[in-house]
Amino acid sequence: MHAAMVSLLSLEGIGKAFPNGTVALRDARLSVRAGSVHGLVGANGAGKSTMIKVIAGAHAPTSGVVRWKGEEVSWRTPGAARRAGVATIMQHVPLAPTLTVLENVFLGAGGPWRLPRARRAEFARLLERVGYAIDPDAEVAGLAIGERQMVAVLQALATGAELVVMDEPTASLAEGERQVVFDVVRRLSAQGTAFLYVSHFLDEVLSLTDRVTVLRDGTVVEEGETAGYDEDRLVQAIVGRDLLATERRGAAPVAPDGPVLLSVRGLSSPAGVRDVSFEVRAGEVIGLAGLLGSGRSELLHAVYGSDTRARGEVLAGGRPVRRSPRAAVAAGMALVPEDRNAQGLVGTFPIWKNVSLPDLPALSSGRSLPREPAETARAERAIADLGIVCPGPEALPGELSGGNAQKVVFGKWLYGGARVFLLDEPTAGVDVGAKADILELVRRFAAGGGAVLVVSSEFEELLAVATRVLVVREGRVVAERAAHETSEEELLMLANGFGEAGFGAGGSGEGGAHDAA
Amino acid sequence: MPPETPRGAARRSRFAAAFRPGNAGVVYALLLIVAVLTLLTAQLGRPSYLSPTNVINILDQSSLIAILAVFTTVVLISGNFDLSVASVAAFSAATVLSLVAPLGLPVAMAIALGAGLLCGAVNGLIVQLVGINAFIVTLGTMTAVRGLVLILTGGRTITAQDPDAQRSLIALQAGYWTVPHVLAILGALAAVAGIVLLVRGSRRAGVVVLLAGVVAVALSPVLGFELRLSKPTYYLIVIAGVTWAVLRYTVIGRRLYAVGANAEAARLSGINVNRYRIGAFVLNGLGSGFVGVLFAAKLLAINPTGLQGTELTVLAAAILGGTSLFGGLGSVLKSVVGALILFTLDNGFNVLNLGANYQGVIVGTVVVVAAAIYTVAGRQKQVRRVRESRPRTAVRQEALR
Repeated sequence: MHAAMVSLLSLEGIGKAFPNGTVALRDARLSVRAGSVHGLVGANGAGKSTMIKVIAGAHAPTSGVVRWKGEEVSWRTPGAARRAGVATIMQHVPLAPTLTVLENVFLGAGGPWRLPRARRAEFARLLERVGYAIDPDAEVAGLAIGERQMVAVLQALATGAELVVMDEPTASLAEGERQVVFDVVRRLSAQGTAFLYVSHFLDEVLSLTDRVTVLRDGTVVEEGETAGYDEDRLVQAIVGRDLLATERRGAAPVAPDGPVLLSVRGLSSPAGVRDVSFEVRAGEVIGLAGLLGSGRSELLHAVYGSDTRARGEVLAGGRPVRRSPRAAVAAGMALVPEDRNAQGLVGTFPIWKNVSLPDLPALSSGRSLPREPAETARAERAIADLGIVCPGPEALPGELSGGNAQKVVFGKWLYGGARVFLLDEPTAGVDVGAKADILELVRRFAAGGGAVLVVSSEFEELLAVATRVLVVREGRVVAERAAHETSEEELLMLANGFGEAGFGAGGSGEGGAHDAA
Repeated sequence: MPPETPRGAARRSRFAAAFRPGNAGVVYALLLIVAVLTLLTAQLGRPSYLSPTNVINILDQSSLIAILAVFTTVVLISGNFDLSVASVAAFSAATVLSLVAPLGLPVAMAIALGAGLLCGAVNGLIVQLVGINAFIVTLGTMTAVRGLVLILTGGRTITAQDPDAQRSLIALQAGYWTVPHVLAILGALAAVAGIVLLVRGSRRAGVVVLLAGVVAVALSPVLGFELRLSKPTYYLIVIAGVTWAVLRYTVIGRRLYAVGANAEAARLSGINVNRYRIGAFVLNGLGSGFVGVLFAAKLLAINPTGLQGTELTVLAAAILGGTSLFGGLGSVLKSVVGALILFTLDNGFNVLNLGANYQGVIVGTVVVVAAAIYTVAGRQKQVRRVRESRPRTAVRQEALR
């Protein structure tokens, strides 16, 4: 009765229960108006993905009604939804990397022939509509992630979509690339294409969307005009508690006489690290601030020894460490890598085997026969200590949400005597609640007498946990600031290469000159 | 920390999971094939399929392939691939046959094993240190080592003609060993295992195993089974048993699976990936060398094309056993069962006089059907697991079987 006025797509009373009894959605509703940008936010596990899948036709709802342009529909396959005019762009863009942009954009087009000429004209019209330029003959494999995202958008438009569902479109994009996506969304919505925009980045949702729906535990807790929200209110709606207080607590500087746990001298690598030297004392959290492609992740890998081409000296607790991850682990170093699925977790191992992996000999009889009860006990301890939401230590990492999977990666290093922690984007793709937990964990590492090096794209986050910040640019440490004396603006200026800027005028804030990768 | 209960339950579910069709399907398939063949032979009035002689025969025939399958499975688990096993085995067979007369068996055998080990090391070093795809490298070494066999044999069949040499070779593989009082021995082992289980805290399983052991020992004087198997079968049992135990119960085994399932995560966890992967190749080379020696001892001759095509049978056995070609998944015992299936079919055709012409079609079909079942079952398992968990998950692509 209510939302049936001009809604392009409306979901009413949608419930989704899985055969085992998990209820992913309960009486959820959503109403997307034609030509609007609708934000969908919620913590990991709140039901956003299930809702998207219901809309895309990948899941059939167990109850409720889906209406498309006022008519009740039930899409049973993704193809049906796409034909009706709903295009869904998933987080990891499925494109054929060996084909050209043009071929990818028209991948779904029927007919037996490749018709380059007709397609080209159509492609040109599309680009004009979108206001974006890209070489149609470029091979997709050679494109940056942001460009691929655009190819996916073009692909969606080429099928004549009236509603484009975007799941975390900017999760792996650099600032400049984000702006391109925003521009395109704004432009197309002005032309009448509706967007359902799912993102963890609340600032994006606030600046881009017209309306916003907040999901928590499978139900819609709030819905309204975006203009009526600010970041604090949105966060509270998402998590149901006030988090920002803990998140914004700056760290006090550490006494300068603590023992040096890690010292790096003249470290260089062809991967993009140039003559870096620094020291980290016990209890310190060092933030590495830099733009995408500045060499910040490469620096961590060089320190850890996983970059075998790196040259230079790394001392842990005063003793030199041979350049291999094995030696690094033995010296008490731990790396939480950027891509947890590809680098951090073994997908076929349950949680307990993942957690025990780096420290297996210590949990084994005679250092060679693993004691499974001890391993399970450790996994249970990690689950309890870190608040990992999971069915139990037998769960596979693929069953966990991003934040919980990330906590499992942390769990690998908690109990093995690691003292130097290298964290590469520890909160990427993690919801607000888990993010606060992880930041708290970082502080705990330091408080326990450890040393932490943390890389993050979100400078605000660095300032929240770090005691000192090193600014990385083109593989060098170009500046050092005490965290309580600097600001996001200053770090951004430094990372962009604007020298010793004390004045936050100029290109401060978002969208400063972007350092190409 | 929650005490005993959930952990015990987890272990019990792990134990039960091992017998689920999704995990033990290959064993059920073997039982099914044997049952069908037994019924058919009984129906047609031929000598019973399950007669001790026939069973001993099948085990003997499949043992060499099964040993190769064990080591190939190790390589597959480590995330690599080895096509060169048959060529290496032939090379080692040719080596031992040409050296046994002048040097005596122990030295000739050591050299033959060393040759196998060297081939494996070459494979492993090229694959891991140069970084070429294992399929390509071992395709190359398969051809090149076959070339070495041709050079060594001069293109002709070589035989061991020296009577002493013949005798020592025959002693290596021909003949049977009889283990008396099998029930008593197995019962005693079960009793020990039961006590170990009890000590380690799983009461129910421990009591069951202990009781079963005691009953078996008590019945032994009445029933008095004895086990009479060919020597290669014993080699297989020992090799498969030890390899299984190492993979299942040691740090080395756990790390090998980790390396195969996600090499980067393993490396960043402080595991020396190259060492494990090269080690798997070296082991495979050594195993191939051993099988080559047994093969030579069996035939007392090798022709230059001997064992050609066997590498594919070995891979088929591993695939039947559910080993993933992408690494990180597999069990050597199931691969052995896979080899047994292949030879049971083979033997069944002979017993039923169906003619060898149909054999290729049937065996090929069985392999593809098995792979299809594993893939579909794996997919369903994945769907089930994802549904059981919270919905917001980046589903990691479970390795295709």
